[in-house]
Parts: sequence; C-alpha cells; structure tokens
Amino acid sequence: MNENGRSKLGRNLLLVGRIALGVIFLIAAYQKMKPQGGMSWGLASIKTSLALFAMGVDSYQMLPPWAVSPLAHFIPPFELFLGLWLLSGIALRLSSLISTLAIGVFITAMFSAYERGLTISCGCFGPGEHVGPLTLMRDSLLFLPLALALTIGSFWIRRKPRESAAPETVAPTPRTN
Amino acid sequence: MRRKTCGTLGAAAEFLAIALLALGLARPAFPQANAAAPKTSPTASNHLRTTGTTTSTVSPAFGPPVKTYGSKNAPITMEVFTDYQCPSCRNLFEQTLRPLINEYVASGKVYLIHHDFPLPMHRYGYEAARWANAAARVGQFGNVEAALYDHQDAWGADGNIAKYVEDAVPAADFKRIEKLMQGCEDRSTPTSAAQGPGCALDSYIEQDRAIGLQIPVQSTPTYVISRKGQKLPAGTGVVSWPILKQFFDSLLSS
Repeated sequence: MNENGRSKLGRNLLLVGRIALGVIFLIAAYQKMKPQGGMSWGLASIKTSLALFAMGVDSYQMLPPWAVSPLAHFIPPFELFLGLWLLSGIALRLSSLISTLAIGVFITAMFSAYERGLTISCGCFGPGEHVGPLTLMRDSLLFLPLALALTIGSFWIRRKPRESAAPETVAPTPRTN
Repeated sequence: MRRKTCGTLGAAAEFLAIALLALGLARPAFPQANAAAPKTSPTASNHLRTTGTTTSTVSPAFGPPVKTYGSKNAPITMEVFTDYQCPSCRNLFEQTLRPLINEYVASGKVYLIHHDFPLPMHRYGYEAARWANAAARVGQFGNVEAALYDHQDAWGADGNIAKYVEDAVPAADFKRIEKLMQGCEDRSTPTSAAQGPGCALDSYIEQDRAIGLQIPVQSTPTYVISRKGQKLPAGTGVVSWPILKQFFDSLLSS
C-alpha cells in the first residue's frame, strides 16, 4: 500500500474512531440528563436528573459535598459538548486529547472506588450500573484505548495541503515505490 | 308414689348417665376449634409463620414490626435496604438518615421505610435484624436502630447485641422484646426445617429480602426513592445529607 493509501486508511480510521467516541459521549450525556421517574422533558426534569447524578458522584466519596454538586452539573453538559465536538471533527487533536484525559480521570475514580471496596453505581451511563470488573474492563480496555488511538492518530496523520478550486494542468511526476 | 318417683328419677338418671357417657365417648371426634388458638387482641393480628415443615405462632399481643418514619402521605418515599453490621450502612444512618429524619421526615416531606437485607459475610447481621424487628413490634424500632448503629463496632466484635438493645429501651419493653426473641437463639441465617421451629421474626426479614431481590439489591446500603408513585433508579452507597437534600428539593419543586 502506498503512502496515499495508508493516509486514506488512517483518515478513515480516524473518522470511524471519532464518530464512535463522539456517540459514546453523547449517549453518556443523554443517560445522565434524561427524565427519571416518569417525568417529561423539561428544565425541571433535567435539574432533577442532574441532582440524581450528583448523588452518584457523591457516592464515590472523593469530594466534599460543596464540590460534588458543581461537578455533577458540569459533567453531563461537558460530555454533550465533547460528543458534538468529536463528531464535528474540528480541532480533532485537541478534542481527542481532552476526551482521553476525561476518560482517564473517570477510570481512575472507578478504580479508586473499587479498590476501597465501595459497591456503588458507576454513573457512566446513568444510574443502575455498578462499579465492578465488567465496567472497569469495558472502560479501560475499550473506551480508553479508543480515545488514545484517536489522539495518537490525529497527531500522526498529517493533513495534506488543500487542493485549489481550479484544477491545474501539471505534468505527472514519476512515482517512486 | 315413691316408687313412681323413684321410677321416674331412675329413668331420668339412666337417661342422663347414658347421655353423659355418649358425650364422653364422642368428644374426641369433634375438632377443638378454639382450644389451641391463641387469643387475639382487638388491635393486633394473629400471625402463623411456617418455617420448613413446622409452624411457629407469633405472639398475638404485638402487631407486625413498624420500621417506618414519618407520614405515608409525604410526597416523597425513601426505602432503604441495610445490614446493621455493614459499616457503610452505619455511615449512611449517622450522616444522612439522622438529619433526614429530624428535618424532612419531621416536616412531612419524606416517608422513610427501612428494609432489612442482612448480608452473609456479616456474622451477626441477621441476629441484629431479629432484634430490630422484635423492637419494631413493640414500638421501639427507632431507639434500637440507633443503638445498633451507634455501637456497631462493639457488638460486631462479640455478638453481644442484647446489652445495647436493653440500654436503648425501657425495661418493660426490653422484657417484651426478649419474649419475642425466644426461639431465635440460633444466630445463623433463617432456620431450616431440620433445625426446628425456628425464629418467628425471620419471616419479616425474609419479606424484606424478597422485596430487595426484586429491585435487585446487590449491596448495602441501597435506597429507592419514589415520588407520586414513580420509582426512581435505585442508588447504592453513602450519599451525604446536603446532596440528598438538594435532590429532594429538586423533586419537591418539580
């Protein structure tokens, strides 16, 4: 495969990767903010869902109460923004790097809770999912490598110069394999 | 005349004797409907609990255990599944449930229901639940629950739960609790048919566990919050009172 082929493959993989990671973040944000307990969509239901997520964050017992609520109200909208950012492909190096750091922080918190023997809800995709071997494996062997690969790939693949609107007639250059 | 009288009396006596004899012979054939049935007080219900193939009768003088705080009409209901020997459950009780009871339960905002969910790894957890249920049947659940959590480390080390229950309730109530604990000397999990009549209080604990398994409760503490009949996803672990209070406030304002 020549350099052009490798570059094209790399770009396609980057595309798939950022779409996959973007969708993961969007699903995570949706699960945390969707109405609970039979409520309908609205500001009040989102506020309640975020308050419920705050209880999940608090159960990690890593932060004082005054810090839990602001963080719990920040994470879901941040995930929503991150998901959309990844899907857009704009500044992919930066978005993928931030995604990797975010997932790294989440996994660290989960391992900390597991190591302390806390049987709590992960909070990764809303309530109901416990911190345990399965969630730890999923996040550290699937999500984190995906984000890392995306980050490394985005820095590795160099953009080609953009072609101009009017095609120029250029003499073909001899190819070297 | 005398002969007639005697004759008449004789016939009557014979008849009476035959009747008495007939009744004496026939009595075992009739079921003794109320002979073994315990008396029922007008305010309590009589329970028959079956443990394996034997039946134990719960004392009829006390009603079922009341392990709730507050009014059923409160807009929010919180059900908590705990093990008295679970350290996290103790933390939840001390840090969160106590202020919840003092503030939001007292003001009618929250109805708090306790369910027992003793875990196998806690040696005295099941026995502690028995004591709590016995106390709940005499109206002393709150005091005993607090005592169990306050002295968890102590009785968790040697299993001497009775001492702390006795200190938490009036003497007369402790005697009633002790009476309810008769048959519960086996400290293990629910007695099987092979072990004998068993502990009558186990049925209440098993009822709570059955409710928990439907959720399902996978660890303690686990809590389920409901509003207007709608149950929210179950939460696990310790949540601090300020955070829980914020959540209740958002529910009440929505």
